[in-house]
Amino acid sequence: MSQRYYEDVNVDDELEPLERVPTTDMAIDFFGRDNPTNPAFADAEAGKRLGVGGALVPGLLKLAWITQYVSDWAGTEGMVRSVRAAYRRPDVADRPLVLAGRVVEKRVEDGAHLVELEVVTLAEGQPSTRANVQVQLPSRG
Amino acid sequence: MAIPEHSLITDEHRAAIGRKSDPVTVTIREEDARRMRDVLGDADPRYADGTGIAPPYVIAMLGGGPRRGMPQVLPGGLLTQQEWRFTRPFRIGEQLQAISQVYDIRDRLGGRYGYSVLVTQGTDYYDAEGNHVAAAMITITQFDPKMASGRSDE
Repeated sequence: MSQRYYEDVNVDDELEPLERVPTTDMAIDFFGRDNPTNPAFADAEAGKRLGVGGALVPGLLKLAWITQYVSDWAGTEGMVRSVRAAYRRPDVADRPLVLAGRVVEKRVEDGAHLVELEVVTLAEGQPSTRANVQVQLPSRG
Repeated sequence: MAIPEHSLITDEHRAAIGRKSDPVTVTIREEDARRMRDVLGDADPRYADGTGIAPPYVIAMLGGGPRRGMPQVLPGGLLTQQEWRFTRPFRIGEQLQAISQVYDIRDRLGGRYGYSVLVTQGTDYYDAEGNHVAAAMITITQFDPKMASGRSDE
């Protein structure tokens, strides 16, 4: 994991896309096997009955992936300050999701070096989640 | 059920806006942090065993979270928006006070649900010194399944 500094970042910089394949086991283990969750996270038939087409990928799992994706991009001296996601369409387990991101703004606010990113999860090339992420980066100055 | 001609949001629902819940104590658990790291394949050294720091997404496991006490206007619910904010990292084993409140209730006519109600609720987490640590917010689109094709809650 390399460190990214505020001065190295430019608006329109793109993050390297990352593929993830969500599984039902991941969904169950993410929340813990002893914790009750939506049955559609583990049961494809329950998901189909809801019109999803298979087991549903939890929104919280996608939000965690987005947080991790940006955190890894920032490096260990960076800190994700906020993640705001809009779920545009449900995702189905075992179908690949591609995380992609772009820098949309950078600014210094109260001494903090902040970078705003837009991040999406893409299912078959179509956005299923759109997120705005704010990360604080260290400065070389 | 036919699409209602008038808002189903009552004065009682509106009265919930801005009313803070009693605090609930939640704990940042090491087993949650480790399990979630493993599922995500997160090798960030900041959150490794022994550091005492939990990854930010452990907020997903905190009880007392945003849905607690959410007004239920319609029977169906779809998670449509979600937000996490972090003031500082979580420490393994620390106890936080969770205080929730409804931020907004509004209805919407049209769209795929015919008539729906959007409820936005959030929870702030404070440490033992009263300092803000993090916040979680969700917007649930409530609908009546009889007026819409089946969708699920993420």
